[in-house]
Amino acid sequence: MALLYGLLWRLLLLLVHVNTALVSWLRVRLRSWKGRLWERAVAALLLPVALAGFPDQHKKLNHNPDATANPVTGNRDDGRRARWLSDGKALEKLPVHVGLLVAEEEPSYSDVANLVVWCMAVGISYVSVYDNHGIFRKNNSRLLEEILRQQNLLGVDGSKYSIEFLSNGSDKHNVVSCRPTVKVLSPEDGKQSIVQAAQQICRSVENKERSSKDISVSMLDVLLRESKNIPDPDLVLKFGPVNSTLGFLPWHIRLTEFISLPSHRDVSYDNMLDALQRYASCQQRLGQ
Amino acid sequence: MSWIKEGDLNLLEKISANVLKAGPMPKHVAFIMDGNRRFARKKNMERQEGHMQGFNKLAETLRWCKHLNIPEVTVYAFSIENFKRTKEEVDGLMELAKQKFERLLEERCFLNVCFAYTSRYEITNAVREMAWGVEQGLIKASDVSESLLSECLYSNNSPNPDLLIRTSGEVRLSDFLLWQTSHSCLVFQSVLWPEYSFWNLCEAILQYQLNHKSIQKARELHQEHQALQQLEADRACVAEHLQHHGNGKPADAQRRQEALLHYTACREDRVQDFLEALKHKRNSFFSDLCSKPVLA
Repeated sequence: MALLYGLLWRLLLLLVHVNTALVSWLRVRLRSWKGRLWERAVAALLLPVALAGFPDQHKKLNHNPDATANPVTGNRDDGRRARWLSDGKALEKLPVHVGLLVAEEEPSYSDVANLVVWCMAVGISYVSVYDNHGIFRKNNSRLLEEILRQQNLLGVDGSKYSIEFLSNGSDKHNVVSCRPTVKVLSPEDGKQSIVQAAQQICRSVENKERSSKDISVSMLDVLLRESKNIPDPDLVLKFGPVNSTLGFLPWHIRLTEFISLPSHRDVSYDNMLDALQRYASCQQRLGQ
Repeated sequence: MSWIKEGDLNLLEKISANVLKAGPMPKHVAFIMDGNRRFARKKNMERQEGHMQGFNKLAETLRWCKHLNIPEVTVYAFSIENFKRTKEEVDGLMELAKQKFERLLEERCFLNVCFAYTSRYEITNAVREMAWGVEQGLIKASDVSESLLSECLYSNNSPNPDLLIRTSGEVRLSDFLLWQTSHSCLVFQSVLWPEYSFWNLCEAILQYQLNHKSIQKARELHQEHQALQQLEADRACVAEHLQHHGNGKPADAQRRQEALLHYTACREDRVQDFLEALKHKRNSFFSDLCSKPVLA
């Protein structure tokens, strides 16, 4: 009997995997079909719309940043940048800090770089990149190179959107500017930082500099924020099939919304915008 | 009369349960039971009625967990933030909780209810306890580690939840078990809590089973890291000690190794004594509380 149930269980898992594969295959086919439709729609509708000068409709129709050169708006790069910025402004609510949690083996640097650049282009101020093997942390410079390369490729003006690249242990001064900031995180920034903060507090108690009764949530919070004043992530985009935070900043994700995407490989701007739109429609009641 | 509804699963439910049990099963499931008020609005009921339905659903869910051999369940009933609600609602919830939990004491099951709880406060309290240990001279600041912090949480008697389920479609943790669920399977379901069904639970457990291997791998990686950190920390302490108490000559490898083993053993003894003292402190807190006269 146990054998039978074991077989049935394996069959169940197989069915689920087949279902998942089918869904993702359909999604890809739908996107390519939709893409062609979009291109035709853009070509057909853009000319009269642009001539009529309705920026709202213009923004609604043009979601594909890789569309062929737009003859009406002139400079392709300017058009794309304006589009991205207006996409961001059109959202009811834009996250201030987005975490990109890559829960997949062998991450693709170019895809992650794309996501970072798109996030910044729509107006998100802080982007964190995380994987639970610490691969991004180890290959910090490679990721930075990719991001700079994507910035150039996508025509995002380097000087306007220059990135402040932070990794643990570097700049301790306050970030006063509004420049987009990219932070590369690893599991050490999670529980380990909380432990380090705890050690620091206990050492000051050992040295009779403070009493255990003085310890409060805000004290710990200040220590964990270091001096960078980066707000807690409002949104985490999780890429990959694993349904777990895998150690991502446990203290900071108290009120973070989690939106899952199937994979970071070949992810499109539309996928990301969809997720941001889903985020914009969620409601936080904060206990009330 | 039993509060956890007795009664078996129907045939189809029994078969499904047996199929699921052929795979890995979570030993500790946590629920964020969200959606009582939205349910009440949907059915044109009073909020209090919605909460009542929520409690009934909890009883039913515990029955399902019993049948699925899930030994431990933790639920998020009430957060410190929820005190922001109207006095009427808060009082109503408190009274309901008192009634239901009194009857729960008659049952034999492991149910953890997080009441007036936020995870950040729990973590801060654990740090405070460790600082108290340092003040009392029971442990040193260098003894502070991830595992020690875990032992100082309120949940130290339980394993970390394998599966966290949140209902009503919200996709956040809302300050619930942030430390303990860092490597748990998170399942967000759109059903409102009072409408939760056996099949919703099966769906969540299936998700757990699909993620089991990869999460297990991630957990092991994390534990390896932890062990390495502890070893490095111990080595650093030993090196410092040898420097201070040595005769100027660098110690040989064997002496270093012996010193390391000795230091580790001493640290573990210290930590054990501290945890005993902490347990005693907590027990006396509760027994003092119980011995106080209860005002009617």
